[in-house]
Amino acid sequence: MEFISLFPTWFEPMVGSGWVVGFIATFHVLASHTSVGAALLFAYLSYRAYKEDNDDYLDFVKKYGLFLLVFTYVAGSLTGVGIWYSTTVASPNGIGALIHSFVWKWATEWVFFVIEVVGIYMIVYLVGKVDKKTHMKISVIFGISSFATMVIIIGILSFMMVPGKEAWFEEGGYLLGFYGDNTFVQLGMRMTFMMTMTAIVGGIVVASITNPAFKKEMARKLGWLGIIATLIGAGLFQVYLKTVPESALLVMENRLPDYFGPSIMIVLAMTLAYFIVTMWKPRLLVAGFAGSMAVILLVAGLWPEETARESMRKPWVAGQYVYSNQVIGRDVPGMGIESQLPHLEKHGILKSHPMTPAHLREVNDGNIIQAGEFITMTYCSNCHSPSETGIRPLHRYFPEGVTQEVMARYIRGAIMPGHIAYMPKMPMIDSEIEALSAYLVMNNESGQAATQVAIEQEIANREASKLADQALGLVVSLNESAKQEVQ
Amino acid sequence: MEAMQLTEMMYAMRNPAGVPFYPIVFVALGVLTFALHIFFVQLMLGTATLTAFGAFSKQDNWRRLASAMLEVAKVSVSVAIVIGVAPLLFVQVVYDPQWYTSNVLSADWVIAFIVIMIAGYWSMYYYYFKNGKYGQNAGSPKARWSILASLVIFLFAGWIMHSLTSQMLHPELWQEWYAPGGMMDYSGSQLHANNPWRYAFFILLGIPAAGAMLVAYRRFKSVRTDMDQDYLNWAGELGKKWIKIGSLVVIVPYIGWMATVQESAAGFGLTIWGLLPIVALIGVAAWAQLRLKESQSLCNYMALGVVFVAVLVASIGREVLRYDILNGAFGYDFFDYKVTMDWYSTALFFGTFAVVGGAILAYFLTIAWKVGQSQGVYTPSKAVDRMGTIAIWIVSLWMIHFFAIGFWIWAQ
Repeated sequence: MEFISLFPTWFEPMVGSGWVVGFIATFHVLASHTSVGAALLFAYLSYRAYKEDNDDYLDFVKKYGLFLLVFTYVAGSLTGVGIWYSTTVASPNGIGALIHSFVWKWATEWVFFVIEVVGIYMIVYLVGKVDKKTHMKISVIFGISSFATMVIIIGILSFMMVPGKEAWFEEGGYLLGFYGDNTFVQLGMRMTFMMTMTAIVGGIVVASITNPAFKKEMARKLGWLGIIATLIGAGLFQVYLKTVPESALLVMENRLPDYFGPSIMIVLAMTLAYFIVTMWKPRLLVAGFAGSMAVILLVAGLWPEETARESMRKPWVAGQYVYSNQVIGRDVPGMGIESQLPHLEKHGILKSHPMTPAHLREVNDGNIIQAGEFITMTYCSNCHSPSETGIRPLHRYFPEGVTQEVMARYIRGAIMPGHIAYMPKMPMIDSEIEALSAYLVMNNESGQAATQVAIEQEIANREASKLADQALGLVVSLNESAKQEVQ
Repeated sequence: MEAMQLTEMMYAMRNPAGVPFYPIVFVALGVLTFALHIFFVQLMLGTATLTAFGAFSKQDNWRRLASAMLEVAKVSVSVAIVIGVAPLLFVQVVYDPQWYTSNVLSADWVIAFIVIMIAGYWSMYYYYFKNGKYGQNAGSPKARWSILASLVIFLFAGWIMHSLTSQMLHPELWQEWYAPGGMMDYSGSQLHANNPWRYAFFILLGIPAAGAMLVAYRRFKSVRTDMDQDYLNWAGELGKKWIKIGSLVVIVPYIGWMATVQESAAGFGLTIWGLLPIVALIGVAAWAQLRLKESQSLCNYMALGVVFVAVLVASIGREVLRYDILNGAFGYDFFDYKVTMDWYSTALFFGTFAVVGGAILAYFLTIAWKVGQSQGVYTPSKAVDRMGTIAIWIVSLWMIHFFAIGFWIWAQ
């Protein structure tokens, strides 16, 4: 078969498709982790309400539950779907690799997801309509089911970084792909994050409590929960780093921005300070302050963490065998998967890509810039934007005045064989190197607008040439007819 | 591209990891869960329309109905979203070449869909918070624009989904959409294909779905002595009309859809799979006429099931049509997807679905049902309470099993 499993490319010039995935993922993590943490908190509070016959705890559960229902369940469930959608359009083979290995696990998570959605309505609307013991039972089931969604997804998230066990490459199978060091440590780390988030978001609900004594009690409960979870989480992050591949640590040391480390420390300190202040002076906990701090602490804390995780697994996007540019770069005998690199080395990317238009399958003088653009979009645009803005713009990586020869040497020497640690191997045939060099140099010298003009000219020339050929054909056929008539 | 090349292209796009069980099972689950999903979408659209109509009506009954149906609409959106996850998962399993390509070619809309849905949902909640606390007999509802906006936004979101699904069926046009006039379009800014008849058919099924909800609502609430029986009977009669008229009206767009399917599937409407949905819809109208005479009969509950069966039949027809187009015209057959069998995860899903899901949802729904029919605080009987204890045990054992297996694999 001539083609390999590649899809069209979506190019988002303003921020880049990677950031779109990042925005949605961060929002989803914020909503979903808070929901799971809160579900466990609800189980505990409902139990206390039942044991101590205390209505205040249930009122708190109702208020917090309604807040979650409107914000995190609506936005959380939709952004959960949004992660699928955004990865589908930004990285179809990446999400495909996960779906095809873990479809049943996702389906199992879905069962718990249904229970969660029915459960949150019951938790909220049945306060005061069922006896406390029944409410507690519902809350306990809801809490465990909600936690189940977390434990199921964690193995899939870990697989994105590295399959659970090395043996998975040879033997395949769901279990070896799912369970490993990274899975369990990441689960522990995320559990602490989610309790921190629950405590921070819970502050918004505590702010609305009018009874000062109960407000103080809840502020302290959430404060201790937040402090303990944050400290354990910070410790587990260090353990987590020991479970990622060496290449990930290399990327972390070399590629993450300088502000990454200090910003994490600042957020950590601010989070602890926030809990201490709200425990000490609960009256300071008013809706505006609690809401603002929730947004600041959670977004500032989550964004670097999600960005780091995204960057660290490069050049892979899933299972250490699917490159970030969608090409399969490694054999996985256990799953009957073969690396596509030999095929690309032999045939080139243009002939291998199923969506290459007929006029770009062979590079020639009349399509060289457009072919170069197609290769750039396919191989590079997931991580590097050819526009002025967007994700890691290409023009920042090449000096002004770089020649086509130098560019071609760079592609042959560094890009094709994958000599840059965090970048995939990108096999090409000679004519494709020429096209890519021509495009990159033009893009570097004159910008994306100039490349578009050049491509429009190539298309116009091709159309003119086609018309000329048609006209010539017509003249020849008229001549032939005239000759036949004369004869 | 020639047909053979299109076939080769789609086969090449398949994920090389294969699927962990027989493809037909994924398709069957996909159809079933799609039917459930679209049924709740229709229920949401129908009840939101009732809510919007009631919001602008001056009649007391309409106002009360609007308030009650808003609750149904709100829950239906949640349920539609959560159930919608399943067909979205299954379509990626055996139709990944078509689904991913269609999505990437309209990527901006795929992303916009999420934002649009959140806007529609929050708009509905905004209306609820503005009016919910005033109860059923409140004066003029506030922020009526928000329920209308919600409805329009959801209809638009439905249009996006409809387009993406339509695009899957046109592999012969993908190249043209990707490179219009020879110029590559990487922007994903266009929706490329649609069939308004098909869209109208699935949307208008909201009429009989909402009708079924009304007769079930009347039956459910009629056991409460604190309810106004005249109002309930009015709602139930309205529901009967909506079921009968709605299920017949939707046959018109269905015929329009069948008459305009792409050329390669022309004549599908006259096959058994094309005709069955019409039979099912006529059957719904006839059943409603014959069986919905008594306001207290259990048939009032069954109405929801009867309309769902019609939706399921239409969903099966839709799947057969998809298979016919992709296999018949382009030689793409999901049956021959590579199987990389994984018994454990297969058993885990079905076990969790049947045992954990069954036990918990049975308990949850029993409680919800009993509460809806009780006044004051509901205290369950011993049997119902035991259901809760069993559910806790089952879900706890599931969790223990998860970690036990996990640690065993980890320790290897």
